[in-house]
Amino acid sequence: MTELTTKYLRDEKARGTSCPGCGLRPAHLKVLEAIDRLGISQADIVWGTGIGCSGRQTYATWKGDTFAGTHGRVYAMATGLRLALPPNKKIILTVGDGDAYTIGLQHLLNCARRNVGVTVVVLDNLGYQSTGGQYSITTPEGSVTDSSPRGTWEQNWAGSGLDILNVIKEAGATFIARHTVLQGDAVVSSLEKAIQNPGFSLVQIVYPCVSHFGVQALGTRNIPQVYTWFESYPLATGILQDSIGSRPEFSDAFRQQNKKVKKGNQDV
Amino acid sequence: MRRIFDTGNAAICEGAIFAGCRVFAGYPITPATEIAENMARRLPEEDGFYLQAEDEIAALHICNGASLGGLKAMTATSGPGYILFADAFGWALSSEIPVVIINSQRVGPVSGITGAPGQGEFYLSRYLAHGGNYETIVLAPASVQEAFLLTVRAFYLSERFRTPVTILADQMVTDGWETLELPESEEEAQNMDLQRWERKVHPGPDFYPPTDAIDIPPVVLGHNTGGACSDWTPTLQGHDTEDFELHHKHAWRLIHKILSHRELIDDAEEWEVEDAEIILVAYGTPSRVVKSAVQEGRAKGLRIGGIRLISLWPFQDRLFKRKASYLVVELNWDGQLVKEVQRAARGSAVHFWGRCGELPSVKELLATAEQIKEGKTLSRDAWKTERW
Repeated sequence: MTELTTKYLRDEKARGTSCPGCGLRPAHLKVLEAIDRLGISQADIVWGTGIGCSGRQTYATWKGDTFAGTHGRVYAMATGLRLALPPNKKIILTVGDGDAYTIGLQHLLNCARRNVGVTVVVLDNLGYQSTGGQYSITTPEGSVTDSSPRGTWEQNWAGSGLDILNVIKEAGATFIARHTVLQGDAVVSSLEKAIQNPGFSLVQIVYPCVSHFGVQALGTRNIPQVYTWFESYPLATGILQDSIGSRPEFSDAFRQQNKKVKKGNQDV
Repeated sequence: MRRIFDTGNAAICEGAIFAGCRVFAGYPITPATEIAENMARRLPEEDGFYLQAEDEIAALHICNGASLGGLKAMTATSGPGYILFADAFGWALSSEIPVVIINSQRVGPVSGITGAPGQGEFYLSRYLAHGGNYETIVLAPASVQEAFLLTVRAFYLSERFRTPVTILADQMVTDGWETLELPESEEEAQNMDLQRWERKVHPGPDFYPPTDAIDIPPVVLGHNTGGACSDWTPTLQGHDTEDFELHHKHAWRLIHKILSHRELIDDAEEWEVEDAEIILVAYGTPSRVVKSAVQEGRAKGLRIGGIRLISLWPFQDRLFKRKASYLVVELNWDGQLVKEVQRAARGSAVHFWGRCGELPSVKELLATAEQIKEGKTLSRDAWKTERW
């Protein structure tokens, strides 16, 4: 327990539930650190989550208002929620790579297109780990997982020329960054920028799952060994897009549009 | 009172706006498209928000999110879009977030026939969420005016029961043009028995009490109440749990908050049932043919009656306790409502008259009633042989 967790997390959830060596907990703490550095009060943040390791384990940890959506749909929910909340309230979503990039991609892209004021934090553990370790579109190519016993053979969206973040960029996201959980201060700094963006931000934080990916793909549960491999795993990291302020935020633009409409029931 | 000539689609929109709906997210689909179109025109006039969603999955999730932030929300669709609501419907149901869903039934299965009425989602409207352990409220209008009234009621019930409420209409109700009376004052609204329920914010910390009580405000985010809301089985505080006893309490609430307050939900119309030998049963547009058949049948000396269901779920078993022959009239060939009537009317003979896409005629229904009276087997064509 640290000062950060005591300050921001619910007592019964403050300890975290991730497996030994998992990067989920340090990544989660980095979001809290960014909030703390920005000095945003608990009352001004609504925290939503998806499904999977990252969704389930971060749900209802935030002391303030919190919700969990169905798998992959939390971006659509946040779009509706954004219309109901005043502009000073921030929406932060912690989700997984499967939630954001596969099952929820349709809604994620439309959320980016609309420039909905929301910060999506993708806690990328390199596959579907809460179901025991199956490959996702961020699993390193060739990896053995429970659903790729001979190694993955399809091209992924994270390494060899195809990058999901380019798709999200083209969809209109106004801030995009990718980091590994090991990149310390750079991660917090990107998260600060993301949370301050009035529009749509996405920060992907990559870390290896030791319990499943480590055992299945790397053949070890040894935490230092897994992280030694991870340090050499090639990933394009840093801020990939920063066009904050270039497009109007969705709910703000919506209200401006509505102001142009003549009020009162004209006819039916 | 403002009297206009318009469609059920327009009536639904006016009902929603009267009830305080300020968010509509939808995806175009025949025959519910005009509801979206009307909302796109009307909502901005009321400081509301119309969104064209990327699909129906998003449409209802956007509504859920808006409601979670304290705005009343509605979406509308037909069969192929309705099945895509399943995910978000279950979320709202289990999280106990109010939202209103319109389904204008067309001819199925699947894409079927677009611009004709069907009644194929009677059971789906009851069981749209997977996993069971719940009851749900479904209302069925039979006219343009009633589409307005029931939409207002759907919002009212969804707030008091903090649950999604479904309006199971059909293409003829939503596309049909009729006279529509709209209240212009509070007094007129009262005379029309229109009730509204303001959204309130649950103060916490026990957002999910194991009780069958209603009028408990839902979780509303953005007020720093520590509101916690998810589709996981909740603890009292809304945290996720895998405890069976807590799950039982949650399921018990989802079932009994509705069953314990049926007086607010149950609604039906009965015609000449007291001494009837044959009782016709229907909901939605076919019920209007049934009403005429009862009137004409009585004029011809037949002891015939009719029941029109206005609330479909929870099912009103008590209406089917009279010893009589029941003839259930539906816009489908497989017989859905008839199965529930068979269950509820145990001991009575229950027959089925089905067709899809177009209505029965009064003549056809009365001829069938005569056949039942004479104890003949119900058969129109070989391939239409009824096996009920």
